[in-house]
Amino acid sequence: MTDPLRGLIPADQHRPLGRYLAAVAAYAVSEGVAFGVLVPLLIALLDGRTTTAAWWLIPLTAAAGVGWFAHYYLGSRALRLSSAWRRALYGRIGDKLVTLPLGWFDGPRAGQVPQLIVGDVARVASTVFLVQALLGAVLTPATIAVFLLAYDWRVGLAALLVVPVVLAALSVGRRLTERTEAANHAATAEAGSRLVEFAGAQPTLRATGNAAAGRVGLDEALAAQHRAARREIVGSLPGEYLGELGIQLAFTALLLTGLALATDHDLAPARMIAVVVLGISLLRPLDALVGLGGVLRACQASAGRIDDLLEVEPLPEPAAGQPVGDAGIELVDVRFGYPGGPDVLTGLTLTIPAGRTTALVGASGSGKTTVTKLIARFHDVAAGSVRVGGVDVRELTSAELLSHLALVFQDVYLFDATLEDNIRFGNPDATAEQVRDAARRAQVDSIVARLPDGWASRVGEGGRLLSGGERQRVAIARALCKDAPIVLLDEATASLDTENEAAVHAALAELAVHRTVLVIAHRLDTIVRADQIAVLDGGRVVECGPHAELLAQDGRYAAFWRERGRARGWRLHAGERLDREPADQASP
Amino acid sequence: MAADPAAADLAELRRPVRGRTTVGAVLQALAAVLSVTPAVVLVEIARRLLTGSGQAVWPLAWVAVGLLAARFVLYASASLLSHLADADLAYLLRRRLTEQLSGLPLSWFAGGVSARVRSTAQDDVATLHHAVAHARGDLASAVAGPLVVVGYLLWVDWPLALLTVVMVGAAQSIRTRVQVQAAEQMSRIAAANTELTAAVLETVRGISVVKTFAGGRGAARFAAAAADYVDADERAQRIFLRPRGLARATVAPATVVFAVTAVGTGLVAAGWSDPVDLVAFTLLAVGLFEQLTPIYLAQDLRESAQGAAGRIGELLRGPRQPAVEPARARAVGAPLTVEFDDVHFGYQEGHRVVRGVSATLEPGTVTALVGPSGAGKSTLAMLLARFADVSEGAIRLGGVDLRDLERDELYRHVGFLLQDAVLLRRSIRDNIALPVPDATEEAVRAAARAAAVDDRILALPRGYDSVAGEDAVLSGGEAQRVAIARTLLAGTPVVVLDEATAFADPDSEAAIQDALAELATGRTLLVIAHRLYTVTEADQILVLDEGRVVERGRHDDLLAAGGRYAQLWRAQQGSEL
Repeated sequence: MTDPLRGLIPADQHRPLGRYLAAVAAYAVSEGVAFGVLVPLLIALLDGRTTTAAWWLIPLTAAAGVGWFAHYYLGSRALRLSSAWRRALYGRIGDKLVTLPLGWFDGPRAGQVPQLIVGDVARVASTVFLVQALLGAVLTPATIAVFLLAYDWRVGLAALLVVPVVLAALSVGRRLTERTEAANHAATAEAGSRLVEFAGAQPTLRATGNAAAGRVGLDEALAAQHRAARREIVGSLPGEYLGELGIQLAFTALLLTGLALATDHDLAPARMIAVVVLGISLLRPLDALVGLGGVLRACQASAGRIDDLLEVEPLPEPAAGQPVGDAGIELVDVRFGYPGGPDVLTGLTLTIPAGRTTALVGASGSGKTTVTKLIARFHDVAAGSVRVGGVDVRELTSAELLSHLALVFQDVYLFDATLEDNIRFGNPDATAEQVRDAARRAQVDSIVARLPDGWASRVGEGGRLLSGGERQRVAIARALCKDAPIVLLDEATASLDTENEAAVHAALAELAVHRTVLVIAHRLDTIVRADQIAVLDGGRVVECGPHAELLAQDGRYAAFWRERGRARGWRLHAGERLDREPADQASP
Repeated sequence: MAADPAAADLAELRRPVRGRTTVGAVLQALAAVLSVTPAVVLVEIARRLLTGSGQAVWPLAWVAVGLLAARFVLYASASLLSHLADADLAYLLRRRLTEQLSGLPLSWFAGGVSARVRSTAQDDVATLHHAVAHARGDLASAVAGPLVVVGYLLWVDWPLALLTVVMVGAAQSIRTRVQVQAAEQMSRIAAANTELTAAVLETVRGISVVKTFAGGRGAARFAAAAADYVDADERAQRIFLRPRGLARATVAPATVVFAVTAVGTGLVAAGWSDPVDLVAFTLLAVGLFEQLTPIYLAQDLRESAQGAAGRIGELLRGPRQPAVEPARARAVGAPLTVEFDDVHFGYQEGHRVVRGVSATLEPGTVTALVGPSGAGKSTLAMLLARFADVSEGAIRLGGVDLRDLERDELYRHVGFLLQDAVLLRRSIRDNIALPVPDATEEAVRAAARAAAVDDRILALPRGYDSVAGEDAVLSGGEAQRVAIARTLLAGTPVVVLDEATAFADPDSEAAIQDALAELATGRTLLVIAHRLYTVTEADQILVLDEGRVVERGRHDDLLAAGGRYAQLWRAQQGSEL
């Protein structure tokens, strides 16, 4: 087994695996021996020496007997090995997932985890079965080849010389296939994304009043996919049939050599026939080898993907943390950028006093979300430091750090459980009274009243049975239930209906009492009421202070405030140019 | 077979390429028949050489080589023919599906159907591959090949042939029985698999919650689900270990060789068989079982193909929006008044969302729809954009029923701006010029300037040539303004607008609102209003409740009337700052 696969074999399975492989090899050889024994038996029969032939049945019986035993034994062994392998991999991946930096889950690779678990692990474990077929397709012909050369080296050579030709033909064919396959794959992905766009943008496309124009991109992509599919079919033809052709060539060589030797009386006819039968038996399993190679490559790719996940470095943590002081937060000269991107924070310094509310404002992309994620140590800073209660977050264990924090982000994840369970998740030791109290303060009781099963209502996968505003209220209740001294909050931007907006706002006010709150604020009244407002621009804090003070400075914040004030008083007016005709109305 | 709707769907979808796949299947069956050539020729050569009859053997060898070459050509052309037919059919089906999509009413697309469309048009069509390119050929060769082998073996030596058939038959019957039992186990494994998938999704998506709120014990569901999955699978497999091992051992090459030679030696000793006959059996009996495998594998593949065909058929049968008969089609009249005439509508029979709404929208005026959520505001507005057709009554534009307008004619007059702005993966210029592909550069820029997004576009890496979603990554508010620019350029005199659009992105509210103000100029607007203060200046406010207009008039009059509107207004003022 090759490298990425071998690395994933569980440590305690090396010995059983070794025994299993030895048994597989022994069985594969015994199959070859059966054919090897067939030659003297056939010769004896064809020559009319029936008794001699009967004697040769003894080793043949032994070979067949090995097979009967092997089929049950190997099947049971393989099942046990592959199940153990799967359990070990699930265990390792499960352990790994909880130690990965939280930021990893925001990245592109998190989306591959379900496929990794459901598909790749099973595929890696199935190598145990694959290896049985693979060794059979290699060792059985190899054993037969030894017999063949021993019985008649000239016929043997004729057949064996073709083997490298077959293998070369197979690899050339495979490369041809891969190229057209990749092109088809790309064309299919493109057509798929155009289809998604076509369906998702259907209102927009129809609104153009030009139905044909909207389909151009998709039609082209589908036609390109069709061309690529046809090209792949033609391109993979050699790959599929070169191997087959090689095997036929080998047979031809075998037959013609045998016949030539027999007609020249260099080889007795009976011996020739038996040797050619052996040669054909050698060629038969080679065909299977081609398909098995592809399966093995798929297994290796799966192993590679699992290996990549297991190799991700967790953020370094101290063995024991330090005592945390108050619930204040300091960011000192922080620089940070996401992998492969420019710096998002470029020397940001901000002090968030304990027990107060600090609002972060700034344009989208100014780094507001990044600040909250660095405090919760989703990632580590590139330079500078983040301190909670005076201690650098890198000197705290993640359990310790997170025990001080409650996260209420925009896209709140709720588990597919009851409302009560979701709130209690904040603090498993909470009494029923505490859970109800948190729920009441976060205005969740009105959701409870709306739902048919009350407290026992399930919220659906990810909370999809609730509206966005309701989800956020449940998340706030969860944070209240946890009663952590620091709350990191991302206020919802989606336009909530007025009723929900009022409820969320009341819930937030509850949360702010006696806690350190850092809020990415969008609502004007949230901003005004904050004890301190930090204005972010270009990855730094450009202004910081209470509302009145910043307004008086007449700087960035004052401009922001005026703009938002203007937006707030906005009203739709009927236009004055009542008689205006559409600029480019097409004549019907 | 026709009684099963899934099978009927599959047969119907395959029809366009049936001729080609049938020819392909015949060629493949012929190729399978010719695969017995090496064995038959070798046996014949052996007979001639051993009997010393002096008959020539070389011509036989050349015939074998020729037949093998012919088999090769047959095989390759069968494969080429049926695979090309499959590719052509996939293309045909995908075009039929997109054609169908353009005919479905817009209401069908609400609530995120993209994933379903993709999986049907791409994955399900691809799943037909086996049913189209392989099923018939594989079945034909899996029947023809063994038939010829067994026929030949019976002709050569019937007792040995019977022995072979019994062995292969025994293994095959075990295999079939195991497959039936496996189907029972499969549902249990599938359930464990579903739970594992759900547990993984939950762990990955909820990891920050798990870690911040629950310490390290959050992966418990995953660990339990993984253990259950492996256990269920192992238990199921264990049941099959014995029968599977027995079946494989029965037809293992060594076993078959042993059986035919042992019995054969006895028959030769008894003088019943010719030793040469044994050559045929050592060559042909060994591979017989494997030739049957495609039939056995085909069952699962056929089921998944039928499932896919069912989903494709369902989408193709979806109710299309009726097209206008050319004789009835009319052009929009003047003036461009919009009339709602006793409009009723419900998505399902018996559940009406709009119940008898009548209203007139004079050209160039703003009409606002207000009311509690669920009152039918959005539904009524969407009916003007013909997302669905009215159940009763009529909506007329310039005196013409919407249903008598060609679709493109309608949308040249009625535009809409909804909460989610959609940008296509094309250049920003193309995105704005979507309704007017031959618009001049200046016209596009002017629309973008009016929508307050020109500066932002120029700041992109390739300006107006930047492709949305590739090198143009726009915020929600910016995308919204591009959509407004598009609507401005289209110049539709009637626009349906969701007022929430103005508040879609708190970081750029003012800019969106400037753009909307530009849009409102000189157009007939139908506004779905959530915040009442934004529509206090509207020419007409329709207050909806349970699908009916309960009040109508201007803001001041409605407030003075002290009815439903005044109630709503007070409620909203109370929740404001």
